[in-house]
Amino acid sequence: MRFCHWLSQTWFIAWITNSVVMSTLVELTHYFSLFLLVGSIVIVDLRIMGLAARRRNATQLADDLFPLMWTGLALNFLSGFLLFAGDAPTFWVNWVFHIKMTVVLVAVIFGVIVQWNVRRWDRPSGIPIGAKLLAFVSLALWIGSILAAVEVPALTSVG
Amino acid sequence: MYHLLVSFCEWLQNTDWALNIAGSTWAYPYVQMIHFSGLSLWVGTNLALDLNLLGVGRKRMTPAELSGALFAWNWIGLGIAVAGGFMLFATAATSFIVNPAFQLKLGLLFPLALILHIIVQSKARIWGQTTTTPAVAKFAGFTELLLWLSVATAAVSIPIFEHI
Repeated sequence: MRFCHWLSQTWFIAWITNSVVMSTLVELTHYFSLFLLVGSIVIVDLRIMGLAARRRNATQLADDLFPLMWTGLALNFLSGFLLFAGDAPTFWVNWVFHIKMTVVLVAVIFGVIVQWNVRRWDRPSGIPIGAKLLAFVSLALWIGSILAAVEVPALTSVG
Repeated sequence: MYHLLVSFCEWLQNTDWALNIAGSTWAYPYVQMIHFSGLSLWVGTNLALDLNLLGVGRKRMTPAELSGALFAWNWIGLGIAVAGGFMLFATAATSFIVNPAFQLKLGLLFPLALILHIIVQSKARIWGQTTTTPAVAKFAGFTELLLWLSVATAAVSIPIFEHI
């Protein structure tokens, strides 16, 4: 908690928080990287489920989209940290924010599982049902993380 | 014309469903979730194609192949984003139409970006036959990327103009 207070009062974080231009830029980065992150992983999940790009093999699609997903995640994490830091003591004790971060963490783990296994699942005989189920859970988790994110201000008036 | 638009917004904002969304602590975040999920699909797939045209990232597929693979969910994403966006708009329609950032977003930047996207998507079949794209394709991809960034900048600026 002491770290959160210190963090929110560092000159760099205070500069971002008090500058309309900088805080807008950070917010813009957070939204844009979210779209890149969720958009690319959801397309791969939908392909594994057999609902998208059926004429392309899943490995090819995943190879092109996963670098975008990781770039999106890195930018999203960085901008998210700056937004968190601006009001760190409040976020630190916010229960909805805890749920959001947990859902995001589980979604990232599922993203890693999908990336590691997509080559193995992508067989001429078809993608196994277990893989489709896993892709569905991954998709649901990313949509769930968006819901958890918008519930933070809705339920606790924070952010 | 403007008075007609204001009357429509007043009517829309006072419809039962708009009042229910605006006054409910649980419904509003679900509508936001719909809007952001649709935007993730729409903007995410647009960015993937633009970056592919620019030659950024891994390219196992040509822009023509990637555009074809993303086409259906790209437009489904826009449909979901517009449906969610319309519901969000309805909750405070009269405030939104007088907000300069919202006017810039929906009146100028979004139509421009949408038109350019349709051009890029149709031309990707010609420009993107191989993984190396012509300069015009790179320029179009870069311009589209900048336009979507401008749309998003206008969107995040809406709250700044709310109390002015």
